[in-house]
Amino acid sequence: MLRQMAAGPMEQFEIHPLVPLTMGGVDVSFTNSTLWMWIALGAAIAFFGVATRSRALIPGRLQSVAEVFYEFIADTVRGAIGPEGMKFFPYVFTLFIYILLANLLGLFPTIPGLPHTFTTTSHIAVTASLGLLSISIVIIYGFYKNGLSFLKLFVPSGVPIWLLPLVSLIEIVSFLSRPISLAIRLFANMLAGHIILKVFAGFIISLLGAGGVFGVIAIFPFLGIIAITMLEILVAFLQAYVFAILTCIYLNDAVHAGHH
Amino acid sequence: MSDPAGKHDPSPLDEFSSRLEAARKVANPNAEDADATRGRAMGKGFRLASELLAAMIVGPALGLGLDQLAGTSPWGLVGGILVGFAAGIRNVAQTMKQDRKGDEAGAE
Repeated sequence: MLRQMAAGPMEQFEIHPLVPLTMGGVDVSFTNSTLWMWIALGAAIAFFGVATRSRALIPGRLQSVAEVFYEFIADTVRGAIGPEGMKFFPYVFTLFIYILLANLLGLFPTIPGLPHTFTTTSHIAVTASLGLLSISIVIIYGFYKNGLSFLKLFVPSGVPIWLLPLVSLIEIVSFLSRPISLAIRLFANMLAGHIILKVFAGFIISLLGAGGVFGVIAIFPFLGIIAITMLEILVAFLQAYVFAILTCIYLNDAVHAGHH
Repeated sequence: MSDPAGKHDPSPLDEFSSRLEAARKVANPNAEDADATRGRAMGKGFRLASELLAAMIVGPALGLGLDQLAGTSPWGLVGGILVGFAAGIRNVAQTMKQDRKGDEAGAE
């Protein structure tokens, strides 16, 4: 049934080049994914530009929202890393806002005549890049700040010497799994949510197409879509937050590698 | 989550916000609605699952890489699976520990 409908549930994740480009034999086309990354970026810049324009002591509506975001992330960074962690605040804040906007923008329905909405964070290439960026910062800053004693991270205290090689190996694998778990979590959440939405939408079309009593039943998947959309908005916030706080927790290892 | 470490000096605005906070608590003692709690629990579950999964991907991948380099097939893969599983369990255990610490700090 679904197959003959206009779009399957996976079609929303397809990448189409809008402006084909190649650079040195590598395909660097401007795709719909690129477009929506730029839209997320533009939305962030526009929002904070407008929100912080007046810089009032008693904030207006937009400025309040901007301040809530700022304090929320600042509290998270201070809580997880401590006051000296605030030098990472710009990075964590950018990460949070970008992921949040990318997640939320993907939930918008397509406006007819404009390019299809696309959730950039539903692609593991995007989330893995973000995860690798986070973990690269942790590694580079860790070695920069602590030198080789950053490697003490892999040598937990109070472990008998004969067990140490095994424990260190496990710690190293656990460390290497961090960017992958960051990437998989965000990508899987976004992918699953959007597939569920599209499948439910497919139910509505099939039921309405069947006509008669079935058309009346279509109200149930419709209510389901409303509920799932609200849940997805929550998930969009939650996953952006989880990505940000885990980045903070990993950065904490780099900042405080010496004393564990 | 919030961390009132006393970094602001008391100003009329802060005093107002503490009064507002108190009034809100009286007006709506359990502001956490069921949906948000369920969403957060789902987030926590997803986090644990992905941490276990990630380590179980990395371990065998490293093992396979070792096999390719050193020609120790299949022992690198076998060891990698075991180590990856152990690392996954370690990830989950540590996440739970961190969560509990966070809950205790947040409970006040």
